[in-house]
Amino acid sequence: MSTPEDSDGDFEGRSALVAEYVLGLLPAGQHERVGRLIEDDQHLRAERDFWQSRFAPLDEQFAETTPPPHLLSAIETRAFGLAPKASPLASLWGSLQLWRGIAAGALAIAVAAIGFNVLRPVGDVSSLTTQLVAALEEEGSNVKFVALYDGAGNVRLTSLSGEAVPDKDFELWAIQGGNNPVSMGVIPVAERSSVTVTPDVLSGLGEGSVLAITLEQSGGSPDGAPHGPIVAKGAVTRI
Amino acid sequence: MSMIQTPSQDIADLISRCALRDRAAFRSLYERTSAKLFGVTLRILKDRSEAEEAVQEVYVKIWQRADRYVAGTTSPISWLVAVARNHSLDVLRARRPPSDDIDVALEVADSGPSPERATQDNQQKGQIEKCLGTLESDRADAVRGAYLDGYSYEELASRYAVPLNTMRTWLRRSLIKLKDCLSA
Repeated sequence: MSTPEDSDGDFEGRSALVAEYVLGLLPAGQHERVGRLIEDDQHLRAERDFWQSRFAPLDEQFAETTPPPHLLSAIETRAFGLAPKASPLASLWGSLQLWRGIAAGALAIAVAAIGFNVLRPVGDVSSLTTQLVAALEEEGSNVKFVALYDGAGNVRLTSLSGEAVPDKDFELWAIQGGNNPVSMGVIPVAERSSVTVTPDVLSGLGEGSVLAITLEQSGGSPDGAPHGPIVAKGAVTRI
Repeated sequence: MSMIQTPSQDIADLISRCALRDRAAFRSLYERTSAKLFGVTLRILKDRSEAEEAVQEVYVKIWQRADRYVAGTTSPISWLVAVARNHSLDVLRARRPPSDDIDVALEVADSGPSPERATQDNQQKGQIEKCLGTLESDRADAVRGAYLDGYSYEELASRYAVPLNTMRTWLRRSLIKLKDCLSA
């Protein structure tokens, strides 16, 4: 039976839950779940804003401490997506050797499990050796993808981490030689997808070209040039 | 004649300019606010090198998410502190072993009455302290410890030498009481 007290109690309980969320008291999994619930419910969002604004005066108690001077340039390098000192080829996770090892083992299994089921059966191991792969990541960003060109006109993307950003889309770009980046389209995050490679991109695709993912306005860049920050990039290499 | 701006408006402007990819604005924002945000990551993470790493990630996030700041809903410095605080808490949570001891009621389908919108003025500085003052002092300290030091229920329970579930019951009751006082 529902009484006014009950619904008051529920309401109080929800408010306390949101307060626990704002305080950061919930364990990781629950924190994430409650965070999603809040995002999806305007009343809960208002409740969150209530608690955040009421607790905010406590912020004064965080004592100011000047960070060491070298941090700013490190932050700028990460934030502005300036090229790291190492060449793009060396910026694959760890070393290329390690990557080749992983590629030959785990990735081949992943391809067999994912790609073959979804698309078409691919015959022998030798076809794998002609494929192109890129590990896409960027320091300071948690967006990570593996891109695999299957030798048949498709780039398969596997999202390893990263979340969708409200009102934004991730867009994939091919950077070939000194040319301007060419859009390969908007891609979903947090799932696997496949992009059909257009002939102009295909003609330049090979070892040394770079794939990059930027965060663009919803629907992707309106003018065919990247505007948003690079959230992941990686050099294409043969496996 | 130049307009007189409050520091808060200045910071809001800098955040908006970051959303427009203005690197100089980002640098100014960093110079103006990094001591505060480093204070946040340092206090919560309690480890200098982790706090340095965290504050770097925080500013990268601020650069990437500047367009999500909505002027007027929260003060700009509160928004920045929230980014730093939430990032630090994420680091702490990732460090902790997974816990399934806490039973979270997720039945939130019924939306209930809407709480009043967060007030925009910050003229209630004393209010949170006043309302925390209506709680028993150790419970008020536990709320402060969660907010300022990022203590988990486990840490609070061991600090106050009570079982985890007791700690949670205490704190939830205190939060409900706090809500009444803060809404008054």
